[in-house]
Amino acid sequence: MKLRQYLRSDAARGYLLVSPTALYALLLLAVPLAAIFAFSFWTQDYLTIDKTWTLKNYREALSEPLYRELMFRSVRISAAVTLATVLLAFPIAYFVSFHVPKERKSLWIFLITIPFWTSYLIRVFLWKVILGYNGVLNTTLQGVGIIDEPLTFILYNANAVVITLAHAFAPFAILPIFVALEKIDRSLLEASLDLGESKVTTFFRVTLPLAMPGVIAAVLIVFIPTIGDYVTPRLVGGPNGLMIANMIQTQFLKLNNAPMGATLAVLAMLIVTAISLVFVGLNRKFLRGQK
Amino acid sequence: MTQPIIELRDVQKHYGEYHALRGITADIGQGEFFSLLGPSGCGKTTLLRTIAGFEGVTSGAVLIDGKDMAGVPANLRPTNMVFQSYAIFPHLTVAENVGYGLRRRTDLNRQAKEVLVGEALEMVGLDGFGKRAAHALSGGQRQRVALARALILKPKVLLLDEPLSALDKKMRDQMQVELIKLQRHVGITFILVTHDQEEALVMSDRIAVMFDGEIAQMDDPEVLYRRPNSRRVADFIGVMNFLPASVLSESGDRIEIEVNGLGRVEIGTDQAPLAGANGGTSVGFRPETLTILYEGQTSNDHIAQGVVEEVVYYGDMTYYDVRLDGAETPVRISMRNLFGRPVLEIGTRARIAWNPGALVLFR
Amino acid sequence: MKGGWLKIYAIGYLLFLYAPIILLPIFAFNDATIIAFPLKGFTTQWFSELATIPALHSAVLNSLLIAVTTAVVSTVLGVCAARAAARYQFPGKKGIMGAIMLPLVLPEIIVAVSLLVVLLQLGLSLGAWTVILGHVLICTPFSIAILNSAFQNLDMSMEEASYDLGETPWSTFRLITLPLVMPGIISSLLIGFTISLDEFIIAFFLTGAEPTLPVYLWSQLRFPQKIPVVMALGTILVLLSIILLTMAEYFRRRGIARAGGKDTGGFL
Repeated sequence: MKLRQYLRSDAARGYLLVSPTALYALLLLAVPLAAIFAFSFWTQDYLTIDKTWTLKNYREALSEPLYRELMFRSVRISAAVTLATVLLAFPIAYFVSFHVPKERKSLWIFLITIPFWTSYLIRVFLWKVILGYNGVLNTTLQGVGIIDEPLTFILYNANAVVITLAHAFAPFAILPIFVALEKIDRSLLEASLDLGESKVTTFFRVTLPLAMPGVIAAVLIVFIPTIGDYVTPRLVGGPNGLMIANMIQTQFLKLNNAPMGATLAVLAMLIVTAISLVFVGLNRKFLRGQK
Repeated sequence: MTQPIIELRDVQKHYGEYHALRGITADIGQGEFFSLLGPSGCGKTTLLRTIAGFEGVTSGAVLIDGKDMAGVPANLRPTNMVFQSYAIFPHLTVAENVGYGLRRRTDLNRQAKEVLVGEALEMVGLDGFGKRAAHALSGGQRQRVALARALILKPKVLLLDEPLSALDKKMRDQMQVELIKLQRHVGITFILVTHDQEEALVMSDRIAVMFDGEIAQMDDPEVLYRRPNSRRVADFIGVMNFLPASVLSESGDRIEIEVNGLGRVEIGTDQAPLAGANGGTSVGFRPETLTILYEGQTSNDHIAQGVVEEVVYYGDMTYYDVRLDGAETPVRISMRNLFGRPVLEIGTRARIAWNPGALVLFR
Repeated sequence: MKGGWLKIYAIGYLLFLYAPIILLPIFAFNDATIIAFPLKGFTTQWFSELATIPALHSAVLNSLLIAVTTAVVSTVLGVCAARAAARYQFPGKKGIMGAIMLPLVLPEIIVAVSLLVVLLQLGLSLGAWTVILGHVLICTPFSIAILNSAFQNLDMSMEEASYDLGETPWSTFRLITLPLVMPGIISSLLIGFTISLDEFIIAFFLTGAEPTLPVYLWSQLRFPQKIPVVMALGTILVLLSIILLTMAEYFRRRGIARAGGKDTGGFL
């Protein structure tokens, strides 16, 4: 009787309905992540996996200069991408939210999202075409006469990776900031003007603080996937623009050292989590004053 | 009362620790216009939803037409509901909305159903609207569609969940009258949930006032207004003045009391409901039961003296706050602005006529 | 004027966003094997060459199969989760939904390698179905995000009204719920299809002997003489994406309008 009553309750129906999706996530996400974690404590000798638990991989990953350099570089590049993307995105989000008429906003947002949905590989490859020695940018600049020699600092290095990723993740940064700006009650701005602030000081004292949760969300949404990006460093990064994901791939598919790859993956996740937590904490701080 | 159409027997509804309904017992008669009135969170909507079958009861029973409704889902109950949001299906036309419940009536052919839909639309004054898209309707039209859709199934009881709250004042007043007429026309029991005391007074045959999951008083509108059984009910419905009082003696059906500002007076025991008062013994009376006497005007009623402290002019009425001699707080008196009657100024001394029959004693 | 400068900036930014897409057809129709300016002349040679590559055709077929299956499965899973989240209260809801949405914020390479490790440990052979497993994992959160707004805009009293008028829970789902969220479902199918069709990393790790289209493209990018053909293929893909997205956006907006909700803009 109690059981039958429970089965008809909201909670039971909710669990029943959510269970296929939750089970899928459990089997195909939680279990594999656990496996990666376990692997990172094992070692591999050619094709046999030694399942004795050891910290050897972690010692090696943290002491080997190549791995350390890759990890630092990944964080550096991701941080630069995040900074560039969010700084470039804010004015756009602000423009669409505050200066575009209401009925045209959806169209602008749609226009901003379209490039994101077109083939990622081809977009990245085209940046190589744009930034290359004989690329579109150099030939155009030379043609106009701004430069004599082609610019070389924009391809096959970290700069190229930053430019390309800032392009790829633009909508990820614009949308959360836009949503946060849209939520701002416009009468708050009028109240600020009424109380004697100028438009500029109102922006810094009212608009920006209220948009901060959106900015922080944008930072997280851009930072997390870029640190694990594989295609861009590989195509436009050159040897000095490679990142941690390229090494993970090499370990798994070329060197046949899955445990080392797993260790690097776990470390990458730890870095992402640590940095995310800092920003989530910041977000809490900003959200405290609001609902 | 004839055989009640709805019997509520000690209905309780708990959500974990929270008790939304704490033992509701009531009979609602055939063809009655019954209102559940109370502030938000008092349980009135929960009670309506237990009758409709959207919420089960924790204990107690809901009987409709003598049958226990335990385990009977909403789709099999002889009740239909008009939702607060109207819940007009936006992807269907007006006619499809109104005829929605007829789909399962296999005894009717297509033409018969169309006739029924046409009649229902005509009944609510929407004839000719059948082909319109539902999402293009105004608030008042949506409400009419919701009414037609519910009434077409000829339910034994029509449940209305704050049906007028989404309308503006003028539309609301108009729909109140229309709903009363409609109810008389179809003769079905209506149960109305509302937080608007005026709406309940205007429309209902009987009103149950609810607080904190319990019925505080259940009476017809006039009794409820004139003889509220507690200060809380008195406060909730209309404006009521309270003056501290003390009971001097009781004998038979008469009670002698002393009221600050009004003096000694005898009232009947029917003016002293049993329900306890919080904050000591007091006497309550409505603003319109007192009359300010003008120069030279006489009255056979009791006369009190006081000073006008505040004047609020409403056009047809003027409200005066008058401090009676010997009272600590002013009382509100409403006077109609009859032709030739001046509005008094603050500070004027006035004589006030009052009748002991209008008093209610709370103790 | 502040708005004026912002507008110029906005247009410049849009140019930056669209730069690669604008270049794509230019080189696809350029009569030269080297992808650089100046342009040499107009040709449709690269497009006709597309028809002569069997490996490309099988990659396209493989990708289509994977994308369709992924779209359907992730939408079904998305409907379950979005409906449960919108309609029911249950302990641990936030945690469960958070876990389901996690792939959205996990670097894809990690999803790819962790799945690879498990599949290889279990001794399973890689193929289209393993790519589908991975793609469903990353598409489901997108489905849920889209369907959430559809289910949350759905006034619960709509369904109650239907029960009240005599319909059963199942017929109510068919007559009321499904038609009202259908635009969301279609837009979820289209988004899932688009993501899966374009996804590279997971496919790169989990595909077996049969490559998907992006994996095939990746292999071609190494050969300079193949680039013009890739440009032609890319042009077609971009066009297809834009058509699919416009459709998805159309259905999404119609869904919001139908359920009587307000447009909050965007897919994400």
